[in-house]
Amino acid sequence: MDGLRRHKSMFLLPGLLTLFLIIIFPLLFTIRVSFSGWNVSNPRMNFIGGANYAAMLHDGRFWASITRLILLAGGTVVIQYVIGFGMALLVWREVRGRRFWRVLFLVPMMTTPVVMAAIWQTIFHESLGPVNDLLGTLGLSRIPWLTESGPALAALMIVEVWQWTPFMFLLLLAGLLSLPKEPFMAAAIDGAGTWRTFWKVTFPLMAPVSVAATIIRLIEASKLSDSVYVLTSGGPGSSTETPGYYLYIQGLRDQQTGYSGAMSLTYLVLMIVTLTGVAALLTRAFKLKGDS
Amino acid sequence: MAQLDIVDVGHAYAPGVEEERWALKPLKLTFESGKTYALVGPSGCGKTTLLNILSGLVTPSRGRVLFDGADVTALPTKARNIAQVFQFPVIYKSMTVYENLAFPLRCRRWDRARIDAKVQQVAEALDLHDRLGQPARRLTADDKQLISLGRGLVRDDVAAVLMDEPLTVIDPQLKHSLRRKIREITEQFRPTVIYVTHDQYEAMSFAQEVLVMKDGRAVQQGTPEQLFEAPSSTYVGYFIGSPAMNYLTVDRNDGPFTLGGRTLSVAWDIPHSATEVHVGVRPEYVKVVTDPGPNTFPGRLRGISDHGAQRVLEVEVAGQLVRAKTPREEGVPAGEEILVHLPRAKVLPYADGQLVLRS
Repeated sequence: MDGLRRHKSMFLLPGLLTLFLIIIFPLLFTIRVSFSGWNVSNPRMNFIGGANYAAMLHDGRFWASITRLILLAGGTVVIQYVIGFGMALLVWREVRGRRFWRVLFLVPMMTTPVVMAAIWQTIFHESLGPVNDLLGTLGLSRIPWLTESGPALAALMIVEVWQWTPFMFLLLLAGLLSLPKEPFMAAAIDGAGTWRTFWKVTFPLMAPVSVAATIIRLIEASKLSDSVYVLTSGGPGSSTETPGYYLYIQGLRDQQTGYSGAMSLTYLVLMIVTLTGVAALLTRAFKLKGDS
Repeated sequence: MAQLDIVDVGHAYAPGVEEERWALKPLKLTFESGKTYALVGPSGCGKTTLLNILSGLVTPSRGRVLFDGADVTALPTKARNIAQVFQFPVIYKSMTVYENLAFPLRCRRWDRARIDAKVQQVAEALDLHDRLGQPARRLTADDKQLISLGRGLVRDDVAAVLMDEPLTVIDPQLKHSLRRKIREITEQFRPTVIYVTHDQYEAMSFAQEVLVMKDGRAVQQGTPEQLFEAPSSTYVGYFIGSPAMNYLTVDRNDGPFTLGGRTLSVAWDIPHSATEVHVGVRPEYVKVVTDPGPNTFPGRLRGISDHGAQRVLEVEVAGQLVRAKTPREEGVPAGEEILVHLPRAKVLPYADGQLVLRS
């Protein structure tokens, strides 16, 4: 038995080793680094205690980026959910060209985020972009999309929504297609109209899928940084900076390794706590536990 | 309550199929107001198709559906005012028991007080009144099925209550009590009920009229007694009854019928014909006797099976198997050689698989 068990562990070893190398080791290393004064002029693993954490507490730019991320992630995921659900409902039942629409809706998701952000940058360009051109044609004033903080945030959200709604759509459509037929037949027999059927049958039945899709998207959105990099580079000023992007600046561009280690750990813990809390809240709100 | 007529209604799920292969061959039926009907037949015989045509979930390929004389063939389910209980309990998971029962009435915009009175009445009848505040999803499968039934019963103007094998997923022990409950309820509320099942017991014990179906056709319609006493075909004789009706091949040479060389008198005389004649007799009427007499034949006991309060004896008579259902207290005959008596009035003549009617 013991021999067999040892054999089994041998098979697990490559996986465990990889896991250790790409997750456990970097994590432990980051923890150690966060207590060191490692920076561009002093690349040493010394020990400076909690000085990095103390500095972080007073770093307004970091906390502002966290708040901004919550707004960006929460806002875009809600919008993605609403639009994605709507699109899924549109192509759920028999409609003309259903397959065509289903594939078309998925195209944005398949595009590389950086390429897509670059294209959107052109679209939002203040003097050359088609958006302002269109606004001008309609007699509206031009909007400084990428050079003023409010519009820049809005532009970032539009890009996020555009790219990730298809993912939401895909999960929700799969959910809709797997629903049993009987509750809908029962609702028709009980005399429920379209609106009532949606709120009393479709929506509650979709609760598990909705919660799962929302949480998956929130986890993804909490890592938001690539489109920020391409679209606004965190600007104007630092008004569109997300923690991911700010960490990139501090850690990789400015080489403040120790300090960014402290920030990334804090960011990780905050995200785990927040997302676990959100998941628990959503689960409770939809009464998913104890369901048969 | 309404009278439901289906006129020349037939249905094929795939278009362009010849009529012989339709799921439901064109047929004409009337379901009278306030009566309970059972549709029985093996899987795939068209029972559920017929039910879904009545509720409007399926639009028939041909024919018309009339509720109290009004043509509803083109009306959607919602406009037909019908209640349907499915094979699997269907409840609205996000709602309480009360909200589930009130749902059809809220859809119809009844006022609050009227809804409350009706829900309380139905919950009382279904024994759900002490659980009205509970989330419906927490209930057991049979209680959920009661909710499905209750949603049909709260609407007192409902044209008919259709039940599609509602006891299939219920535990055997609970099946019995739930069946009795459904029966009590339908007796109390008197809706027109159409009950689909493949279980002949359920059909016979539940319905005032039973409709036996086979391959998309209605084979026989009648009271449980008629189906038991005079199956119109050997198919019905086999399908209804446990064990199935005995069918024996008999000889006839100008004179009376003979079985193994001895005269067999049948319930009524039938004209001579070229086709093969069978006689059918229910196992319940076959008697094991000690003295020889008319319609009594020697046989050899081949086996005994236990059916609870009854025993089924398998007896070989003139090379054919005859089953006799005897009460347990009668005991098992001693020895293999026994005499069986087939009461004349219960021996029915069949030609070509069909009951030959008294001329």
